[in-house]
Amino acid sequence: MKLIELVILIVVVLAVALLITVGFEHIIPSTSVRRLAEFYLYTAYNPLVNYTAMSPEAVTAIVWDFRGLDTLFETSVFYLALIGSLALVRGLFVEHVEKSGHGLSIIVRTVTRITAPMIIAVGASIGLHGHLTPGGGFQGGSVIAVLPMIVIVVFSAGFLVLKGVTTSKLITTRSLGLIGIGVTAIALFLAGLALGTSAYVFQNMAKPAAQISMPVSIGGALISGTLWFFNLFEMFAVAAGFTIAFLAIMMARTLEAEKR
Amino acid sequence: MSSVEMLNTYFLSIVLASLLVNTTIALYALFFKPHYVKKVIALTIFSDTVNTFAIFIGYRRWVGQTPPRVPVLTDLNQNAIENTIEEFKSLAVDPLPQALVLTAIVIGLAVILFLVFLGWILYSHYKTLDMREIRGLKG
Amino acid sequence: MVPGETGVYLLMAIMSLLSAIAVYMAIRERDLVRAVIYSALQSGLYAILYFLLLAPDIGLVYIPVAVGLIPGVLLVLISKTERWERE
Repeated sequence: MKLIELVILIVVVLAVALLITVGFEHIIPSTSVRRLAEFYLYTAYNPLVNYTAMSPEAVTAIVWDFRGLDTLFETSVFYLALIGSLALVRGLFVEHVEKSGHGLSIIVRTVTRITAPMIIAVGASIGLHGHLTPGGGFQGGSVIAVLPMIVIVVFSAGFLVLKGVTTSKLITTRSLGLIGIGVTAIALFLAGLALGTSAYVFQNMAKPAAQISMPVSIGGALISGTLWFFNLFEMFAVAAGFTIAFLAIMMARTLEAEKR
Repeated sequence: MSSVEMLNTYFLSIVLASLLVNTTIALYALFFKPHYVKKVIALTIFSDTVNTFAIFIGYRRWVGQTPPRVPVLTDLNQNAIENTIEEFKSLAVDPLPQALVLTAIVIGLAVILFLVFLGWILYSHYKTLDMREIRGLKG
Repeated sequence: MVPGETGVYLLMAIMSLLSAIAVYMAIRERDLVRAVIYSALQSGLYAILYFLLLAPDIGLVYIPVAVGLIPGVLLVLISKTERWERE
């Protein structure tokens, strides 16, 4: 065992030295960016060209408009991992709870009741302003998903189930979020079929070959077409997904406790 | 190089070298530590360090005396939009690695959640999480 | 007085060195609860590094996930299985 560790260490040190010598000016940052980055920065919000995304935030425009198919498949990978985890512990937890368990002291419970609406407000603000400031669907959903974890620890897991937050309702919420994302993705395609013009599948604004586009602003407020709807549905889907995972790992019991 | 230039490059090389050291320590622990939870912790450290390396490549240095900017356009005045976009293009950092790392973080999180459930099933079957003993059992 | 550029790079270097120390202490600790806490400390230092590298989108995802949700799930798993790593 000792000889293998020494050989691995020497090989790693030699490889790192070669990497630093050959690729030095590409790894340490310089004063200019690549041409692909300049293209994305130029067309993220530019009402004068005809292949723009009309969103002042370049990262959200890349995630949901320029490279929207990557995000679609990443959402489906997360969904498959969640379904796989629930299938593993399927026979091991019961949803019928008679009374809630014993939580923490009354000071902690009062403070949690005061800060719970604040967490939801901050998460919703980060999620719905994703096309104007740094933020978006994932960020808002993750912040909101911290709240059920705190409630399960401070009150108890039975308290949450007795309030009506069961696994089947959370799976329904997540599925509704994913259906909303799917409908928003093909909305312009179906509108183009109905009107007789041609349209792409993940289309947001008017392109040279397809002249149909979503509204840029409603009532004077900038919404950047499909980006606002994507952020809204993704926020619900991510929050419901994390809550399911934490509830399932908290309430799983062993095989002997089932058979007794 | 002048001395200020060499000092700046030295600090950036410290960041690069410490990221490589983190990767090596996490890979060592993933192979040679016997407990399952320690391996999961090492896997999270490894994936986070690789994501930080990707964002570090997309950084941009100061041009003269002006610092670089976050890739968010804040001045939406429609009259001077051409000049604003030209200045934005010459000062902002690269937005493409940030979009790809966002996807990579969520996928890594999904894999870690699945591994935790798998660890619970392993414990309820074999009564231990020590991988040397599980490797020695035969069915 | 250090000029602005060198000050930012100095802060980045200090955060990276502290995160290397936190990773080393997390790996060679035999009490698993302390290892999870050191891993959460390393994630907090990485979040400050993301802010200094001008990537606020990534920092906003990273703080709830790697400081709140992943240590929470790992601590529930440790409390249901075993806590000490054998030699």
